[in-house]
This record gives sequence, structure tokens and C-alpha cells, in this order.
Amino acid sequence: MIERHPDSSFLVEYASGSVDIAPSIAITTHIQFCDQCRRTVESLQSVGGELLGRASSDPVSDDLLDSVFACIDSGSSDGERFESGKQDFIPAEEENEVISELSSTLPAYIKQFLPAEKLKWRFLSPSLKTATISVGEDVHELSFLKIKAGGKAPVHNHKGTEITVVLKGCFSDEDDLYHPGDFIVRQEGETHQPFAAQNEECICLSVLSAPIQLTGIKSVLNPFLSFAPS
Amino acid sequence: MHIRFKSARKEAPMDEPQYWSACLERVGSHGDREAFTALFEHFAPLLKSFLAAGAGQNSENIEELVQETMVKVWRKAANYNRSQSNANTWIYTIARNTRIDWIRKQIRQNPNQLHADDIYDTEPTVTPHSSLIELRNKRDIGAEIKKLPPAQSEVLALMYFQGHSGQQVSEALSIPLGTVKSRIRLALKRLKVALAENELELEAREEAHA
Repeated sequence: MIERHPDSSFLVEYASGSVDIAPSIAITTHIQFCDQCRRTVESLQSVGGELLGRASSDPVSDDLLDSVFACIDSGSSDGERFESGKQDFIPAEEENEVISELSSTLPAYIKQFLPAEKLKWRFLSPSLKTATISVGEDVHELSFLKIKAGGKAPVHNHKGTEITVVLKGCFSDEDDLYHPGDFIVRQEGETHQPFAAQNEECICLSVLSAPIQLTGIKSVLNPFLSFAPS
Repeated sequence: MHIRFKSARKEAPMDEPQYWSACLERVGSHGDREAFTALFEHFAPLLKSFLAAGAGQNSENIEELVQETMVKVWRKAANYNRSQSNANTWIYTIARNTRIDWIRKQIRQNPNQLHADDIYDTEPTVTPHSSLIELRNKRDIGAEIKKLPPAQSEVLALMYFQGHSGQQVSEALSIPLGTVKSRIRLALKRLKVALAENELELEAREEAHA
């Protein structure tokens, strides 16, 4: 049962196009699991359609239609890119750890963002590893997080916002237990220690808007948590 | 800034949405230029004012955006499905994605050739039993949107037309972010946009205080 959703203003921002790439990917990932939010987004896009239909009419240049037809006929412009935009992201399946592990549970949508070569996992602690996904923006870092079955992530707090979408397994922290599809937002300054269920590893998609800081004795690990937007 | 809505909208035929859907279908199935020209004459001026609001002042650039959007409408028309969205909504999402890519290109933030079309998911909800209710809800949005109190429609206009985030709306109107969010929730409730349960609780509390 999904209990954590993006709030309504976040969904409006998403439907109206002001959300950066990495958090947008997190919301699209959430709606792979959550029909409720998927319907909300559809309705919010209908709101956009209604507003467009009610916009004032601003006359366009007389020759614009001709330019559009010229562009259509030449087949040039950037027509091909609609088909080929994803080609850099087609993964070599057998080489990719996450895909082979998750081919049945990972939403098809998220696979397009996996690198063609193997994901580069870094250990953040003995039971937590992370692999950054490059999506071409410089404000957020998008990554996979993997917590070993029964493993605990280091206690950490947030300098910026952290969005986590559970993809597989469950994790809990001081507040709650989270299931696949849950969309969890941690604001600046919140400290928590996530841990995975005993019987299953937990894989999440994570979006960071600033470096997280490990607190307590494990702070020595911080250099490995370098913020690496890509 | 001014968001202009048509004050005296020409009386549209009752079946206007069906008419535009039919045009899109003819473009998609037959490459019908007459149908496309009708779409262009109706939508290009709307797109121009819609896109101009969020993309600066240069009208030449805006027409480039309008052109790019209409070219995409032609190329994607074969994928159009009227049972999923009306023509307004479908063209709106194309314009939104075109604007996102255009803005990203300007700030050179696109090394991976990843486009807004890849980020958003266009698959519709697959719950057949609810589709009738959804169609009705989408019609309600059109009827209710013009009845929204100005404070609420202003927030939506800033977000959809200008591409503002909630934070930017709060700065533009000099009101707290919490007020922006509560206006959004109240507006969505009037538009009968289904919200998650925790949102409904918040909104009930706001109604009680209103």
C-alpha cells in the first residue's frame, strides 16, 4: 500500500513543467506504482489544456504556417530526435547488475536512464551502496541506493531536499515503514537512519538537491558522499 | 505581468472539442493538410500567447517555439487518441515539453540528449472501469475553471503560463508559500481533481479555517 505521495503543489509544478529533470523522473517513477497520482497528473494536464484553450489569441506571422509546412516537408529540423533521443540509454542487459536483478520489478520507464555500461556502485557504508545516474542537470543528483537485507544506512541529515522513491523491498526509519512506490521527501535539517527489512534488500531511487551529511561517528565517511551532479 | 483570458470568447459550436479531435485524427491517419491548417489557425495564436508568458519577450523566438510545437503536432498526430485526452490537453503537453527543452537548451543543460518527452510518461491510466468518471471529471474542469476565485486562478495561471514553481509564485505575489499551496489545494478541489488522502485532510482543515 502506497502511503507517501508528492504533495498537490509538487504535482502541479510537474504537470506545468517547472520541475527539474531528476525530481521529474522521481515523480514519473512514483506514478509507475501509483494510479491515484497518475490520474491526478492527467487531470492536472487537462487543467493545462483548458488554460491553453482560454489563452488570448495572439496573431502569428503570415508566413509561419508556410514555415511549418516547409519544416514538415524537409523532414529535417530535429525530427529524428523524437525517435532516437533514448539511444544513449539502451542498456547492455547482461552486463547490468541492477537490470538483471530487477528486470521483473523495476518499472520499464526507469530502465531508459540506466547507463549503457555497468552502473558504478560506491559503498557508503558496509550495508549501503549507491550508483549515480547521469541525466544532464546540475542542480540535483539522481542515484540508485541499495540497502542490504537487515542493513542500516548511516545516520545522516540533509543540507538540501532528499526525495526517495522505493523501487523494491522495504525500508523503515524512526517515523515509518516504506513500501515500493512510496515517495518520501526529507527537508533540510532532518536527521534519520533508514534500515532495510531483515528478509530483503531494499532498492530506492534517490534525488538529492545538496550533499547529505553523515552525523555521529561515521562522519569520517563523508568524503565518499561527494555531491556529484552529472 | 498580465495573464489575459479571452473576455468575449466567440461562441464555439457545442462539439468544438470533437471537431479538433477529428482534425488531429485526420492529420494522423491521412496527413490531411486542410485539417492541419484548421488546427494551426486555431491553436498557433493560443500557443503564441501561452508560450510568450513563460519565455521572455522576443516574439521571433516565440514563433520558433510555436513552429516547433506545431511540427511536433504533425509528427505525433498518429499517436493521438481522443479517448485519452482532448486536443487542448494533448497539444498543451506537447507545448509544455517543447518549452522545457527550449529552456534547457538555453542554459546548456542537455548533454545527454534527454528530452522532456523521455521524462514524462504518456501511458494513460489503465483502469477501464473509471474511464467514464474520468471523462466526466475532465469535462468538469473546463466548466469550473472559469468560476475559480481570482486568487486561485492567478496562482494556476502563474504556474501554467509562466512556468513558475510554487516558491516563485510566492515571491511574485509576496505571499507565504503555505498560502500558495493552500490556494492550489482549494482550486484543485473546485476543479474536482482527485487528490491523495493526506491532501484531503489538509484541505478539510483549511476549509474549516476559511
